[in-house]
Amino acid sequence: MASSSSSGLTFKLHPLVIVNISDHYTRVKSQLSLPPSLTSTSSAATSNNNNNNSNGGENNQNPPPRVYGCVIGVQRGRTVEIFNSFELIYDPSTRSLDRSFLEKKQELYKKVFPHFYVLGWYSTGSDAQESDMHFHKALMDINESPLYVLLNPAINPAQKDLPVTIYESELHVIDGVPQLIFVRSSYTIETVEAERISVDHVAHLKPSGGSAATQLAAQLTGIHSAIKMLNSRIRVLHQYLVGMQKGDIPCESSLLRQVSSLLRRLPAVESEKFQDDFLMEYNDTLLITYLAMFTNCSSTMNELVDKFNTTYDRHSRRGGRTAFI
Amino acid sequence: MDSAIAQKTWELENNILTVETPDPSSDSIFYYDEAAQAKFQQEKPWANDPHYFKRVKISALALLKMVVHARSGGTIEVMGLMQGKTDGDAIIVMDAFALPVEGTETRVNAQADAYEYMVDYSQTNKQAGRLENVVGWYHSHPGYGCWLSGIDVSTQMLNQQFQEPFLAVVIDPTRTVSAGKVEIGAFRTYPEGYKPPDDPISEYQTIPLNKIEDFGVHCKQYYALDITYFKSSLDCHLLDLLWNKYWVNTLSSSPLLGNGDYVAGQISDLAEKLEQAENQLAHSRIGPLGPPRKKEESQLAKITRDSAKITLEQVHGLMSQVIKDILFNSVRQSSRSQNDQSGPEPMIET
Repeated sequence: MASSSSSGLTFKLHPLVIVNISDHYTRVKSQLSLPPSLTSTSSAATSNNNNNNSNGGENNQNPPPRVYGCVIGVQRGRTVEIFNSFELIYDPSTRSLDRSFLEKKQELYKKVFPHFYVLGWYSTGSDAQESDMHFHKALMDINESPLYVLLNPAINPAQKDLPVTIYESELHVIDGVPQLIFVRSSYTIETVEAERISVDHVAHLKPSGGSAATQLAAQLTGIHSAIKMLNSRIRVLHQYLVGMQKGDIPCESSLLRQVSSLLRRLPAVESEKFQDDFLMEYNDTLLITYLAMFTNCSSTMNELVDKFNTTYDRHSRRGGRTAFI
Repeated sequence: MDSAIAQKTWELENNILTVETPDPSSDSIFYYDEAAQAKFQQEKPWANDPHYFKRVKISALALLKMVVHARSGGTIEVMGLMQGKTDGDAIIVMDAFALPVEGTETRVNAQADAYEYMVDYSQTNKQAGRLENVVGWYHSHPGYGCWLSGIDVSTQMLNQQFQEPFLAVVIDPTRTVSAGKVEIGAFRTYPEGYKPPDDPISEYQTIPLNKIEDFGVHCKQYYALDITYFKSSLDCHLLDLLWNKYWVNTLSSSPLLGNGDYVAGQISDLAEKLEQAENQLAHSRIGPLGPPRKKEESQLAKITRDSAKITLEQVHGLMSQVIKDILFNSVRQSSRSQNDQSGPEPMIET
């Protein structure tokens, strides 16, 4: 069921969608299983905790509920960009999708985000299932080729990859019968600057405000971790290539082609104009620093003169002037 | 990994209060206890104490939505509502949604237009399983800081009379992008005629000249609340994994290019303030030198702080540009060939 997609569409996913789906799932899960009681007396709380934890344990053995929703965004040419999502009401036992709810929600979102339209739907779970196809077909009257975004909510600390997969539907002929099946597609994470900063802020709980030193440290730490990632990825590539050279790993020409095209793109920008612009920007920043220092100095001098005037004021009516050395 | 050690050392030195990594049992904050909330509504402990609510907890989702919405408005103010619940002296914001209204700075009760939208949205949300009520509103001040203007203060006072508990949140998306950290403030107004017992020292922020009067007149009528953020265990996990794809964006972001207009505006505003300060200082030399005036910083000192802030942001932006230049452009200078990956092209998963 999960072969590679051949539709040629590129998908871009915004982090907001991922956080949305995760929040939806957490909400539904916590409403179903009673949390430890929020009473003030500690003994009551602990006894309740014990009770509820055992209940919680039982609940965890039941499969966690699946949540369903709709993803919206824009499609420009061959690029599909998923910006946002909202919840839907779907009953898996009767396989009925609440249409009026969907339309209502669509209307509401259209008012605030007039450019977005329904691109597909999402759900949680570990793998795409046959029953999902019904939901998929139900959405096909809104969008002829909807997407299916699947989030795996199981927290696996050893996992290195984002547990989000995007499926498309394709018509394949299996055993002589044309059937719609899900095929996986690749996607990239796309973001705007503001989104990136707030995700960073929440993910790493960066300090707000503070002295200039802490701000500088925060900025540089961010860049440092990014460069570390870059470095580790390059090492992996390097090891792979060395292995290929030695003959341990079979040569794969498509990968070699990709690597060589990447290498040929360096240096990234090399032209007279770039150097000029870059140096001009550099000089502008230095100029601003110079001006700021000027302002700082004149402010300090002003304060000094004020203090001098206050201390050695010869026109003061008070008796007893301080001695002037 | 020594980067982890370095981060821990830095966090210790700067007294970063790390929220302990939430485990599944602490996701209890997401549980909506209808009975407890209804009881709290009845008791109204805030009616007697205007300073009752002191803290705000914002969920990761709400923050993301609000910032993205505020940024999408560009230079136009946008507004929306927040949903959540209360917890003792804290207001918890679980979610936020945008309202199809623009430009609240000219209308006191812009929410009248959006009532139908709000009712529809709340109804659909309750059906979909989000049971919380509206606990506040947010709007954006693109480029001029997080504070409540005169109109905002009157709107919020009205809200606090009829829709308690209610919170006002202001976001500045332009400053967020320029400074690299989220500019957000949460406020509640004092009731009419109430004098706050002490003068809380708020964090200084620079206000443009054309708004500074509006700020000064009303700044004593409201107080700011502490903001903390929370996220679920699944959120934590996902955000960690997201970093594996995200580092490319961090490296390729260029704040200098995006915010050129804003910086130019700030500098020209600073120049005007400087002229004003010059006039003020020229006159004050004649006046008496007796009265103590060190409570308020002098105009010039404020300007110095502003200029330092602008410069700092510029320098940060330039630093990232220089780093990128060294990483990706200096291949010709290095003796060993390096298999550098070119900047903004992420690796496609195959």
